Amino acid sequence: MIEMHDVYKVYGNGVKALNGVDMKIDQGEFVYVVGPSGSGKSTFIRLMYREEKPTHGVILINGVNVKRVRDWKIPYLRRNIGVVFQDYKLLPNMTAYENVAFAMEAVEAPKRKIRRRVQEVLELVGLHDRMSALPSQLSGGEQQRVSIARAMVNNPSFVIADEPTGNLDPENSWDIMYLLEEINAQGTTVVMATHNREIVNTMRKRVIAIEQGVVVRDEHQGEYGYED
Amino acid sequence: MKIETMFRHTREAFKSLKRNTWMTFAAVSAVAVTLLIFGIFLVFAFNISYMASELDKQVAIRISLSQTATNDDIDQLREKIENDSAVKSVDFIPKEDGLKRMKEQWGEDEKFLKGLENDNPLPDILEVQAKNPQQTESLANKLSKYNFVEHVDFGQGVTDRLLDLSGWVRNVVLIFGLGLAVLAAFLISNTIKLTIFARRREIEIMRLVGASNWFIRWPFFIEGGMIGVLGAIVPVTVVLLGYNAVIGILGAGEAYSFFKLLGMWPLSLYVAGITIILGVFIGVWGSLISIRKFLRI
Ligand SMILES: Nc1ncnc2c1ncn2[C@@H]1O[C@H](COP(=O)(O)OP(=O)(O)OP(=O)(O)O)[C@@H](O)[C@H]1O
Ligand SMILES: [Mg+2]
Repeated sequence: MIEMHDVYKVYGNGVKALNGVDMKIDQGEFVYVVGPSGSGKSTFIRLMYREEKPTHGVILINGVNVKRVRDWKIPYLRRNIGVVFQDYKLLPNMTAYENVAFAMEAVEAPKRKIRRRVQEVLELVGLHDRMSALPSQLSGGEQQRVSIARAMVNNPSFVIADEPTGNLDPENSWDIMYLLEEINAQGTTVVMATHNREIVNTMRKRVIAIEQGVVVRDEHQGEYGYED
Repeated sequence: MKIETMFRHTREAFKSLKRNTWMTFAAVSAVAVTLLIFGIFLVFAFNISYMASELDKQVAIRISLSQTATNDDIDQLREKIENDSAVKSVDFIPKEDGLKRMKEQWGEDEKFLKGLENDNPLPDILEVQAKNPQQTESLANKLSKYNFVEHVDFGQGVTDRLLDLSGWVRNVVLIFGLGLAVLAAFLISNTIKLTIFARRREIEIMRLVGASNWFIRWPFFIEGGMIGVLGAIVPVTVVLLGYNAVIGILGAGEAYSFFKLLGMWPLSLYVAGITIILGVFIGVWGSLISIRKFLRI
């Protein structure tokens, strides 16, 4: 469960990115975060995995106040949250397999477990036959699937994605969406910031709309609602 | 930490050392120069303190006699000491002579001592030389228990001066060495900075997936420590080989009156150990600078 109570975020340069956000996401939900460019979607996402701290207000992840978590404990908080970006953030000199395994090695998982689990998630994202390919040898859609596999490999309760389809053509975008839907169906909470009207309007999930740092709309089976 | 993880960190550190060959070389050289100076100093310091302790054993014992002792008492005491089998010679220095010596030493300030002739506060002295220099200390202890003996001292004058000199040398070397150590640490911090820069994507991902702060830091500390160890190897070798040659020429442990060198063992162990530890310390210190500045965790 993710809760925000009266959350404000003012960046060091004085930009007010969020201005009093209240919302709650339950375990197992699928949520789109939409809004015009610069409205604060990425800020909202970054607060969830504690890349940024709120200037004011309370953020609870599974009941834990992230502002109170000591710096050295933040990594343990993050192990429960998989993060996916528009630009995949894969390591270019590692194969698909190594990129995913890296996330388990970084949390000091035992070697035996790593091999089995990495193969399992690569199968989940449909890349078990491209395991030894470098990112440069993969299409954008495939790269994004590797990054989703990496986000999933440590079995997080949440997957948070900031415009995961932003660099993809419609066909690949849909593949990613089906994948996220399947992950969600297995019980993982998915939060996804997006500009993709077609996807939001077709999938009909919960939609949180942010404008100028404020939640202006929060609907189940919502619509995108903007003409970009 | 798991041994597997430690291997991984060490591998990463080695990779980085190879990746920044030239910076690594510069940093290792800086450490080497620092430690060479330090190593030479260390050998000197060990030897000076050894010589000082040897000198302590060789020089005369000065017995200050009680003011209440009569001439007969003194003669008896002197005879008793002369008959001791461990004693080579005994000299009597009356307090008048002591005052004269003091005047010679003080020169200009002699006037402070004027008038003391009539009421000389100095004690009479017996100067005792042991047959075997090694026994000076035990002999002194024995003599201190005799009647009319106020107190006993030996060796301080010469050895103190020797230790003063070594203290002075030490301060100069320490200041100079500290400057070099700072320079070496700075060069190490620069190589580590390059490594952090080269690995910034990996670091970003590690943080994202929840690697602990120590997991991220370790390879950089190991890299710094390895630069320190690599930087220690050459100076330790040079210093020990050089010292071995010096001993070969001058001879160790031979009882010249003053000049007596320590043997290779266990000196080489101390010098190697202390130098390598200092190298690691400089290396870790250098990494720490960059880790705090550029890793920000
Ligand atoms: N690190 C930062 N430092 C300062 N200002 C920032 C920072 N990140 C974002 N901002 C500012 O905060 C506001 C919200 O930015 P944010 O990235 O959250 O918007 P967004 O909704 O994700 O936009 P987009 O749809 O273009 O990705 C913007 O005005 C932006 O310029
Ligand atoms: Mg954004």
